[in-house]
Amino acid sequence: MTLLDEKRPPAPAPPARPSRIAPWLRDLALGIRFAAAGGREGWTRTLLTAVGVGLGVTLLFLAASVPHALDARSAREDARSETKISENPDAQGKKSDTSVLRISADTEYHDRTITGYLMRAEGSHPVLPPGIDAVPAAGEMVVSPALRDLLNDPDNALLKERYPYKVTGTIADEGLRSPGELWFYAGSDTLTTASGGHRVTGYGDPGPTPPLAPLLVVLVIMVCVVLLAPVAIFIATAVRFGGERRDRRLAALRLVGTDIRSTRRIAAGEALFGSLLGLLIGLVLFLVGRRFVGYIEIWDVSAFPDDLAPDLRLCLLIAVAVPLTAVLVTLSAMRSVVIEPLGVVRNSRARKRRLWWRLALPLAGLGVLALNGQAGEYEVVNPYPITIGAVLVLVGLALLLPWLVEACVNRLRGGPVPWQLATRRLQLSSGTASRAVSGVTVAVAGAVAVQMLFASMNADFNKATGQDPTRAQFYAVSEQVGGNAAVDTIERFRATKGVTQVIGMVEAYASKPGKYSEDDIQPTTSFNVGDCATLREVARIDSCEDGDAFVVHPRNDKDMAGWMDKTARKGKEVEFESGRGRKLRWTLPADAKTVVSRKDPVGEDRWGIMVTPGVIDASTLPGASTVSQIRIDESVPDAAEYVRNTAARIDPGMRLVTLTSVARDRQYASVQTGLQVGATLTLLLIAASMLVSQLEQIRERKRLLSVLVAFGTRRATLAWSVLWQTALPVVIGLAVAVAGGLSLGAALCWMVDKEVADWLVFLPLAGAGGALILLVTLLSLPPLWRMMRPDGLRSE
Amino acid sequence: MTPAGSLLAAHDLRKTYGSTPALDGASFSVHPGEVVAVMGPSGSGKSTLLHCLAGIITPDSGTITYDGRELSAMSDADRSALRRSDFGFVFQFGQLVPELTCVENVALPLRLNGTRRKDAERTALAWMERLEVEDIGGKRPGEVSGGQGQRVAVARALAASPKVIFADEPTGALDSLNGERVMQLLTEAARSANVAVVLVTHEARVAAYSDRDVTVRDGRARDLEHAV
Repeated sequence: MTLLDEKRPPAPAPPARPSRIAPWLRDLALGIRFAAAGGREGWTRTLLTAVGVGLGVTLLFLAASVPHALDARSAREDARSETKISENPDAQGKKSDTSVLRISADTEYHDRTITGYLMRAEGSHPVLPPGIDAVPAAGEMVVSPALRDLLNDPDNALLKERYPYKVTGTIADEGLRSPGELWFYAGSDTLTTASGGHRVTGYGDPGPTPPLAPLLVVLVIMVCVVLLAPVAIFIATAVRFGGERRDRRLAALRLVGTDIRSTRRIAAGEALFGSLLGLLIGLVLFLVGRRFVGYIEIWDVSAFPDDLAPDLRLCLLIAVAVPLTAVLVTLSAMRSVVIEPLGVVRNSRARKRRLWWRLALPLAGLGVLALNGQAGEYEVVNPYPITIGAVLVLVGLALLLPWLVEACVNRLRGGPVPWQLATRRLQLSSGTASRAVSGVTVAVAGAVAVQMLFASMNADFNKATGQDPTRAQFYAVSEQVGGNAAVDTIERFRATKGVTQVIGMVEAYASKPGKYSEDDIQPTTSFNVGDCATLREVARIDSCEDGDAFVVHPRNDKDMAGWMDKTARKGKEVEFESGRGRKLRWTLPADAKTVVSRKDPVGEDRWGIMVTPGVIDASTLPGASTVSQIRIDESVPDAAEYVRNTAARIDPGMRLVTLTSVARDRQYASVQTGLQVGATLTLLLIAASMLVSQLEQIRERKRLLSVLVAFGTRRATLAWSVLWQTALPVVIGLAVAVAGGLSLGAALCWMVDKEVADWLVFLPLAGAGGALILLVTLLSLPPLWRMMRPDGLRSE
Repeated sequence: MTPAGSLLAAHDLRKTYGSTPALDGASFSVHPGEVVAVMGPSGSGKSTLLHCLAGIITPDSGTITYDGRELSAMSDADRSALRRSDFGFVFQFGQLVPELTCVENVALPLRLNGTRRKDAERTALAWMERLEVEDIGGKRPGEVSGGQGQRVAVARALAASPKVIFADEPTGALDSLNGERVMQLLTEAARSANVAVVLVTHEARVAAYSDRDVTVRDGRARDLEHAV
């Protein structure tokens, strides 16, 4: 046997091809370990990131809950709506063991709307709206918890006086739209269909909720984009909190042989842990905060805890997107620093920021909006191009900001020491400041655009009513006219504290007697009974005394005057008829004077036959109602509440309308409220983000601040430097936001075919930005003073 | 109590941090143009003595007299003004403002005193030339070596024409060659401008550049010539 015959030892197996995932997982795990067990410093950084991300995640969960919250509110509103309502008694449901008569008894108290119904069961098993067990007996009422609290408050004696009922129960949550809603059901034993009651035979409106108007869809999309984009930016900023200290720690790893890529992955692992902890904190904050949401009411918006149930798909999206963002943002940020061994961390050679792709995004956004074209008032709006276009514009502005801040601060030279310190700081590293401010930029740009859209839609949603609140502030209608009710109503309003004038009339309709075929229209005109002072408010009358009658023609409308003259024939009979068949004939005096109408305080022209009380006993008129227009002395405290109390005493079902010169559309108002609520939260979040960045920077510069103190630097010098350092990027950010916002707003206005109504909508938002600068600076000063101590010089 | 002719003198200084005494009856003095090395082991109270002498911190008891004025009787604002006008500082590390260029750093004390920017930078450049770092005037501290940075710091300490320079381990972060050069330039410039130097160090090699040594041990200064 030779050596050649020997069996050769098996060749070593070729090394396994290294997996690409394994180093990633190993480094991420190492980063997580550093974040979780990195001592006090590591924990501080992790907590900063986690709390920041947590705040953002809480808002994201809140936003993800909005669809369910709106659906739940809407479902509860539908469930308590009458299944069938008709004002025509003939068409009403038939009286039965389950039917209920009810009449709306809405009112206002100190600018808050109180909604309620007077109810009367017609049988022993009345149908019930959700949230109550029984129809309240006469003299009793059940109220929402918020109304109960309001009534129990001794300061609200005037409101208590308005409801002379015994509160016997509380409406359960399923019967209310929101916890802060002021709602009641009161029992009555006098309510009839004749006095305005409607017969209800069931609850629950199965009809589909009308879709939002296309213009409102555009607004809602914009509000969502405007409010959520800064939250995303805030989260991206939060994962970079404490980055400088982390870089120093990573330098130590480089010393023991970790390569650059591993270092970045380890940093990403730290950010991943912080963001996962942030997710957890956000979830806990959301779940805990949800329990108290019922106690919070911002601009009349509140929700039940159960309403805030985030959509599962959106939750999953948040759970994936937030950690992924953390990792990507960290990897991207690490590209701009070189971490060297020996603890040296230097900014890598500054890569010149390129303008073209930053400018491309907002331009592409405007392009998408332009290509989408204009939406007509009744066209179905495709929300996707609008969302994509708006997001591109807003994100583009956020990306444009670092380039612009850098370009601007690099041109700044000279100036006093604080200015020089601030500008040099920004020249050295404007990225941190730009990131913090980009949230403000997006929020303000979006809000400017939305406000412009609001302003342009103002005419559509805020309609001029033609009402003249300087002549009367209330308009009251009661269908109780029996006996001396009309006169009594007017007298009682006149006797009310704070009332200066009452224009009160009994209103009915007079027809030309005769027989008419189905194709003929019976000539009819309105018939009003009021004293001379009252009639002068609605017609141009020179002389008047009790016993006079007038034929009042409309102004500049001969056709209508001719039509009414067919009924108002002097010396001839007219006929009154109630809806229930009672008839009365009366002769228009031959000496009735013909005059022309004038606009009444409600903004209406009234014409027809008008007579003074001496001509006819108003209480005998069939189908009449009492109409009062009331003027108050606004210097009398609570004058409006005294009027409402009088109205409730006269007739709980009386309709009392507050006259305004402008009427706001309710959906429009709620979108505007949503924007205000969201913008407030967003700006506070951004202020928090800027403050954390500022505090972190101050902490990092503890030793330098002590050195500056050592050679006699004044506190004011450093305070001004902090102010400039905050103000410069914010002012540039606001300039970008205003320019971008106005452009986006103009584009959106064009899309919905509206003219830009107000180019100055940015002023309040710019002011809010200024307030933000001051707030952040002021809150930064105490820690700055603390750091300006000689302790920082001690190294032992 | 004040040694005759001294510019700055301290007597019976006491200072504690929590329950740890840092100074326990230390006394010290320095004359105009004199270079005094304060030596001692780590934790002996050298830096605390320097900070007290410079009016950065106030001692719990004892007196410090500068140019006939009692430092502990002065307000914080007055002491800050004194530091701006009469004192200069060199520390071991982390003293240059990273965002300012080297020449702006040197000009900073002058500007804090109200000198116009151009005049301040002209003076700063002259001092940088003397300290042999005029070529890095436009660079930021992060872009220069440790030795160059310390020379910039020395130039800054001298730029405002102070009467006393306080140097706390000025060569602690430098190699011996750079350390020697920095000390050489610092002491030469100070002596030629008749500026007193209080030099805190634990290295005998550095202390060799001084006119006199003061040893601090357990918070007590043994000033062989001026202790009272």
